[in-house]
Amino acid sequence: MAFDIPRGKITALFGPSGAGKSSVLRLISGLEMAEDGFISNGNETWFDKAKGINLHPQQRSVGFVFQDYALFPHMTVERNVAYGIKEKWRIKEIKDLIDIAGLSGYERHYPAQLSGGQKQRVSLIRAIARKPDILLLDEPFSALDWQTRIQLQEDVKNIIKQFNVTTMYVTHDVSEVYKLANNVIVMESGKEVKRGTPEEVFLGKRLSTRVQVTGKVVGIEHDSIMASVTILHADQFFKTLIDTEELKSLNLRIGDDVVVGVKSSDVILFKI
Amino acid sequence: MNFAAPLLLSLKLSSVTTLLLLVLGVPFAYWLVFTRFRWKFLVESVVALPLVLPPTVLGFYLLMIIGGNSFIGQWYESIFNKPLAFSFQGLVLGSFLYSLPFAVQPIQTAFSSVDKKLLEASWSLGRSNVYTFFRVILPLSRHGIITGCVLSFAHTLGEFGVILMIGGNIPGVTRVASVAIYDEVQSLNYGSANMYAAILLSFSFIILAAVYFINRRFVRTL
Repeated sequence: MAFDIPRGKITALFGPSGAGKSSVLRLISGLEMAEDGFISNGNETWFDKAKGINLHPQQRSVGFVFQDYALFPHMTVERNVAYGIKEKWRIKEIKDLIDIAGLSGYERHYPAQLSGGQKQRVSLIRAIARKPDILLLDEPFSALDWQTRIQLQEDVKNIIKQFNVTTMYVTHDVSEVYKLANNVIVMESGKEVKRGTPEEVFLGKRLSTRVQVTGKVVGIEHDSIMASVTILHADQFFKTLIDTEELKSLNLRIGDDVVVGVKSSDVILFKI
Repeated sequence: MNFAAPLLLSLKLSSVTTLLLLVLGVPFAYWLVFTRFRWKFLVESVVALPLVLPPTVLGFYLLMIIGGNSFIGQWYESIFNKPLAFSFQGLVLGSFLYSLPFAVQPIQTAFSSVDKKLLEASWSLGRSNVYTFFRVILPLSRHGIITGCVLSFAHTLGEFGVILMIGGNIPGVTRVASVAIYDEVQSLNYGSANMYAAILLSFSFIILAAVYFINRRFVRTL
């Protein structure tokens, strides 16, 4: 596969697990070596098999955010963030970074004293602190519960925007791509299968005015003309009425898996 | 005869050996953990040999290697003007090899149990291998290093076979506490043998209790 990452933009690498998304990040950062090909950052070559060039991770201007944070457990938040800063005079910027990440007051805390979302924020500003040319995020939200995830996605988007850093991140969550990315590259078994803006890639012809959900039948109540069917979808129960004749022809029983289609003309939306 | 001399000699031997093992064992353990050398398992086997070998076997071969008729023994004598075998320096060499697995193995285990992601994080933050070693690997391995040092110290303190083989029983030079016990029993001085034995026993117990206590505290604080 071959691709360019546009400067100052957020590019998502999307695909099922095992598609090789994380490997792409590891190759870019130099944590793993490619068998062939080349990687360059502007005019600087980071890897070129043909010319025998392979810069160490230390020599590549990257910031890497790991799925499980990889914070140094024996260092405080402050020291973690300062770890990649080599210029002494820049040390005072750490406080600003910690403020931006909403972690003021936690400077002297150790990673074990932080929540998952806080840890990931420390990990993000630690990576940004060294002013990398490219920020790489490896499924940064997957270890978090959904509420934290939604909040953190927002925060990460703002932080990345503020620093205007070129970003590439790995995810298998479509909604995350929509929320964060300008561009998306879809990968399957080590190969690129599609690329474009999230709209181009995901919507296409699949845009529909119908909503479909799958569920399990957990109750059926018969009446003279109509029957009421109780369906469980994820952790939500809902009831729907269908014609008794239709029920007969479907031969529906408790425990069956069903698809429920709803026309999206009269839908109520809630913000969570 | 000076009762304290063998005890002081034991302490001196253990201290020097432990210091040497710390200085050389840490880089050696690092090499063992991170090398891709395909014959590493052979090196590891050699390091671990003293764990299973009768001390007399190690002592015997050491004597062959550093004795007055050997190349190394003669070379040493020509430079320092004294023999290596049956000297304190010879004992240090023997103790060093004999306690090597006790120092290297805990340190090696500690180094290899540092999460690889932390090293990758350090590299991707632009830090060199040396910086990563001192700022990440070493602080996170301190319990292994302390354990290695204390075990080496205790093990050297209790060493007998190797010392007798390459050091003999020269008062003030190679007559350490463990040898003194043997000597006292041979002369039927059970009283003073008991004194040496009791002191070594208590000392070893205190050291081991300290190791377990320290490890428990480190586990709690991390």
